[in-house]
Amino acid sequence: MGAYVVRRLLQAIPTVFGVALLTFLLFNAFGPDPVRTALGNHATAEAIANLRHQWGLDQSLPLQFVDFLRQIVTFDYGRSYVTGDDLGTQLKSGALVSLSVTVPPFVFGAIVNVSIALFITRHRDGIVDRAARALFIGAMSVSALVYVLALQYLLAFKLDWFPINGYESGWAAVKYLALPWLIQLLLLMGPDIRLYRTLFLADIDADWVRTARSKGAGEGRVLFRHVLPNAWIPIITQNVTTIPFLILGSFLMERFFSIPGIGNLTIDALSRGDLPVLKAVTVLGALALVLFNLVNDLLYAVADPRVRLS
Amino acid sequence: MKPIRRVLCCLSLALAAAGAAGADEPTVLTMPRYAQFDTLDPVQTFSALSDQLLQSVYSTLLNYAYLERPYKMEPGLLASMPTLSADRLTLTFKLRAGVRFTDNPCFPGGKGRVVTSDDVLYSIKRFADGRLNDKTWWAMKDAVQGLDAYHAATLKAAPGVDLTGSDVAGLRKVDATTFTIRLTHDNPLFLYALAMTATSIVPSEAVRFYKDRFGLNPVGTGPFHAEKELDRKGVIRLLKNPDYYGVYPSVGEPGDAARGLLKDAGKRLPLVDVLELPLIEENQPAALKFLRGEIDWRFLDRANFAKLIRRAPDGSFAVADEYAGRFGISYTTAPGIVYVALNMKDPILGGNKALRQALAAAIDVQAEIDVLLNGRGRKLDSIVPYEMPGNERDTGAPPHRKDLALAKKLMADAGYPGGAGLPPLTMSFYLADSDTRNMFDLLRAQFAAIGVQLNGSFQDVPAFLKATGAGNFQLAYYDWTADYPDAEDFYQLLYSRNVTPGPNMGAYANAAYDRAYEASRLMADGPARYAYFKTMNALIEDDAPLIGVFDPLRFGIFQKWVGNFKRNPLAIENNYLRIDPVAKRKGMQ
Repeated sequence: MGAYVVRRLLQAIPTVFGVALLTFLLFNAFGPDPVRTALGNHATAEAIANLRHQWGLDQSLPLQFVDFLRQIVTFDYGRSYVTGDDLGTQLKSGALVSLSVTVPPFVFGAIVNVSIALFITRHRDGIVDRAARALFIGAMSVSALVYVLALQYLLAFKLDWFPINGYESGWAAVKYLALPWLIQLLLLMGPDIRLYRTLFLADIDADWVRTARSKGAGEGRVLFRHVLPNAWIPIITQNVTTIPFLILGSFLMERFFSIPGIGNLTIDALSRGDLPVLKAVTVLGALALVLFNLVNDLLYAVADPRVRLS
Repeated sequence: MKPIRRVLCCLSLALAAAGAAGADEPTVLTMPRYAQFDTLDPVQTFSALSDQLLQSVYSTLLNYAYLERPYKMEPGLLASMPTLSADRLTLTFKLRAGVRFTDNPCFPGGKGRVVTSDDVLYSIKRFADGRLNDKTWWAMKDAVQGLDAYHAATLKAAPGVDLTGSDVAGLRKVDATTFTIRLTHDNPLFLYALAMTATSIVPSEAVRFYKDRFGLNPVGTGPFHAEKELDRKGVIRLLKNPDYYGVYPSVGEPGDAARGLLKDAGKRLPLVDVLELPLIEENQPAALKFLRGEIDWRFLDRANFAKLIRRAPDGSFAVADEYAGRFGISYTTAPGIVYVALNMKDPILGGNKALRQALAAAIDVQAEIDVLLNGRGRKLDSIVPYEMPGNERDTGAPPHRKDLALAKKLMADAGYPGGAGLPPLTMSFYLADSDTRNMFDLLRAQFAAIGVQLNGSFQDVPAFLKATGAGNFQLAYYDWTADYPDAEDFYQLLYSRNVTPGPNMGAYANAAYDRAYEASRLMADGPARYAYFKTMNALIEDDAPLIGVFDPLRFGIFQKWVGNFKRNPLAIENNYLRIDPVAKRKGMQ
């Protein structure tokens, strides 16, 4: 296992290098000139030269790329072109806030949604199953924005169960995050439960399940001991590959609930054309994807004894 | 004592204790920020959003009276209005005695010190530093002896080199609280520059201590001060400056006393302990928090305006009957205009007057006002607000109205009959909220009627200011609030020497316009000046560098527990407001 992890980490180096190269080329070689963008078409040559020097863009492309690699290794992404803020500090605090917005509903959602999907599978083709399918298809048809607007109005304003919006750091954040968590949980329910139900139904009449039933196993035991373990691999894949996107936050929640996460930071950077922020977020996303793909593979071995990591 | 009485007695004691505790609680005034500010370095910013904050933490030598109309300047950091020499070139200023910068780690021992003439001269030189200030330098350009040479020297200096120790002939310290400014020519507009937040007085210690974080760590003499570095994205909490020199005004407009606006006359400002400014970028949460009483006052978006406000048959506005006991409103014709700026350096628009005229003829400003702004505005034929001297009634201006037939003919004249061959045009907006997108949809439909395809570029305030300040736009939806109450502040928007990064962001250049502007600039209001304005109005109508101009009404809606509320776009209301904590507690229950 240890050797496998080391090998996979070593294999990740060229992948990250490729991502870095691609990101660098996209932003630095093919994108618009950030200095021109900042100073406009009427700027003097001197002003352009000064800013180019200040941003290190007067160096050759290979040297700029080396500097970009240094930034990736040291996690020092310099400063925003627009606000001048230190990106390391912003990304660190923003990522932590974003994770506090997205991780709890993700974890809780996984447990709840698997449980509900098992329950529906047990009552497959019955009234519960049909009603749930209709409900979840209906729920999936509604835009996420409608959930935010409606639940913020109903649960926070009308019923006063939650603060309308705001954020405080530390444990005080929980009261502000509760409603965004609930909304995300509801948003995850439809697609996740339908997927899990499909996975469970694929095995519900498999030979080993029929054998278990013929040996007198009850439906609950059949589902938990014989159906669920076989669905672990796609469930793990579905969940673990989602984690990198959790770090990137939920723009909608952050915007409507005034939560200072990385989702808002990214959208702001997009609208401002703030290249250092966009480059940093792109690379961080890629790094997280590589890392969690490895975690995914390790979990396969835990979930399925037939999988051997060698 | 019977048990029930004992319980009641205990309860009343507890309530009394709670009440007493409540009396000691700090009074908090909460007002949402609708977008992020860019910086609070006075010389580096030029947006209404930053202005609002700057006025709360810094002081200028002069400022505008809160209640009086027409807008009137009064001493800020000065003990009295400056005196002018017989040759009308030397202004002598006397500072208020004993005004202190707020306590801050940038000072020895963290203790703020007294403001002196040196601080004022330092701040003016910093204002003139071309490396820092490319946005508002126009306000003092050609005005002070030696200052333009100083400005030129800063442009040649290496970044970070401090030249504020250099001598500037027109800036002289007389003693610790007296100084003079020598003008290059008789200039009645000069004092207005000293009321702009860009000329706020800053201590050199803070600039040196915070370096590139100075824009987030304001240190001033204003009614409030920041306890820690400000967070652009979070809640800004400013605390009362107990040493603030300002007092609530004793003079107002007729009717202000009856409206209860003079009850606090002569009281030390500010009247609240904490000013809380959370960032709420979406309208729904801001509106819900206001209805809940968690926000004390706010501007109004379209949807909530329709819900909360009714329009009387005489055209005036009032709170809708359903909310009449809970909220109050105040509105004013702004010293400002909203318009679409066209970039004259743009290869498609710049060289094609017929195309610009076609766009102007296609815009239905009245529809914007009626449909999207609930009637909150007045279409303008000139670029001067309707209530300001030098407006279209005084000067005359070619009447502008939507004319689709003319617009289509002009499109053909421009070489794009029915829009054929014209690439899509892009309009930049400084917000991305639903009201802004609705405005874009309306403009897109109006342009589509003559075959022009319009794209929207929705930015935030810092990005928009950076892009337009750099001339990186094709069309920009802009909102200009006057820096001072003089029509010149609007006509200078098209003066060729004020091109970007100055306020002429569309880089309009017309020699005839410049001549009329220069001739009228320093004249007193009257027929002679207005004749030049009329000339400029005709050129603007013909060249169409600004189109779709209207004069917006500025609204504020406030809770009943907020006192002294009167909209004043030139003097931020937060510095004067009072909160009734008991009524607020009750109202929020």
